[in-house]
Amino acid sequence: MTDHPDRTDRTDRTAGREREVVRAFVALSHELVDDYDVLDMLAQLTRSCADLLDVSSAGLLLADGQGVLHLAATSSESTHHLEVFQLQRDEGPCLDCFRTGETVVAEDPAEMRRHWPEFARAAELVGFASVHALPMRLRDHALGTVGLFGEHPGRLAQDDLDLAQALVHVASVAVVNERSALDRDAVNDQLQHALTSRIVLEQAKGVVAAAGELDMEDAFHALRRYARDHGRRLSEVAAEVVARRLRGPVVLAHARAVGILPG
Amino acid sequence: MTPSLERLSAGLRAAVEGAEPGLEAANELCSACVELLGMDGAAVSMVHEGVSRGTFGASGDDGRRLDEYQFTFGEGPCLDAVSHRRSVLAPDLDAPTETRWPLFSDAALHDGVRAVFALPIMITSACVGALDLFRAEPGGWRGEQAAGAALAARLASQPLLDLLTADLTGDEQSRPDEWATVTAADMDRVEVYQATGILIAQLDVDAAEAAVRLRAHAMATGQTASEVGIAIIERRLFLDRDGGRGDPAGGPA
Repeated sequence: MTDHPDRTDRTDRTAGREREVVRAFVALSHELVDDYDVLDMLAQLTRSCADLLDVSSAGLLLADGQGVLHLAATSSESTHHLEVFQLQRDEGPCLDCFRTGETVVAEDPAEMRRHWPEFARAAELVGFASVHALPMRLRDHALGTVGLFGEHPGRLAQDDLDLAQALVHVASVAVVNERSALDRDAVNDQLQHALTSRIVLEQAKGVVAAAGELDMEDAFHALRRYARDHGRRLSEVAAEVVARRLRGPVVLAHARAVGILPG
Repeated sequence: MTPSLERLSAGLRAAVEGAEPGLEAANELCSACVELLGMDGAAVSMVHEGVSRGTFGASGDDGRRLDEYQFTFGEGPCLDAVSHRRSVLAPDLDAPTETRWPLFSDAALHDGVRAVFALPIMITSACVGALDLFRAEPGGWRGEQAAGAALAARLASQPLLDLLTADLTGDEQSRPDEWATVTAADMDRVEVYQATGILIAQLDVDAAEAAVRLRAHAMATGQTASEVGIAIIERRLFLDRDGGRGDPAGGPA
């Protein structure tokens, strides 16, 4: 680096950006080797999208066997974003994207209101001014969609959209493991498994939140940290918490001991 | 030729919605499975707190008897579907490679059944039972049968939820069919999942009971499941261990 004193801010930014992109793919690929946890991987994908692109929140919806969308992962666990994601079962850019298989963009609130009045109201309420929805698919099987929500009006640059779509493709392959990729019933089984894991995670967040008067975001971090530090899958830890085999206060005490939550 | 998914969906929904809540809805759903999914028998079996409670609804005496073999012998696809929370398919009970349930298979084959499909019935993350489909012809799913069966298993959560809610609230005036109802589909929301988690911790109950408690409170107070869920998450509402409503200031520690 010091060999190039004439390097401009712009190339520094580009280099920084490249490093971030590389890091995002490396992080995603780390999730994929060996025995990965679908929940962890999808959460990683949404976080990467939110970090790399000029968007404030990313949400991933998977379809069940009847084509109904369910929330599977979000970049932020904040409960006030969830309504916007959940609404998409009935109307919204993600539902349109899922139905058509095409990227759907609304650049500003007026455009959102024109297409999806209910969704637009909820989105504006939490400060979203633009939305991009990218299709998740494997061959001709539509798996779901990733919604990218921005606080500012405007369309993402094509390079950014391509990057996000590439990350989404990697995740699509991973949701459905290779063995079952050609069998539609097996694909649906995998999707259902991912969706049930998400329900268990939400319940586990509730258990841990109740143990320490935490919000859901903190409860999520406590669960994830406990899983990582014990070399366990997030979905397994969540299942034990919900089954009351692993108690909420134990997860909480660990988070406090390692200093991610105030004691 | 199996019907389109749209026709399957309409037929299965109509069977549940047109029946009295509870047992009759479960029976009608099983009959619709036989008719629409090309099966020869269907049954809904129940599991509560990890313990089997046997066959609930069925398409008829044949479906009921086939389902009950599993409880008689303590083995079968339905019990496996419940313990693994995944669909269990047995496309040919007579195949030499099919060795999973020897006693159940013998009995089912004797009754002329070659293929069995068992799907877990879920309320939030809790497996409360299984939908069991029996067919004389061997072979796997055809056409839209798999998607139709998955939908039927989802619809089967409604009669089980009604039954569990009636169990919880006892024989008071408040029978589920007289309440403003909160459907199983209304429970399918993130805030409801999070709130049931809070109830698991506060009331020290399992996930199924937490969901039933939340639903019973919503119906008794004329609220949606979502509204009750948010109130619990925001610590504005605490439910008592006996199912009533507690005061936030004096709620359980």
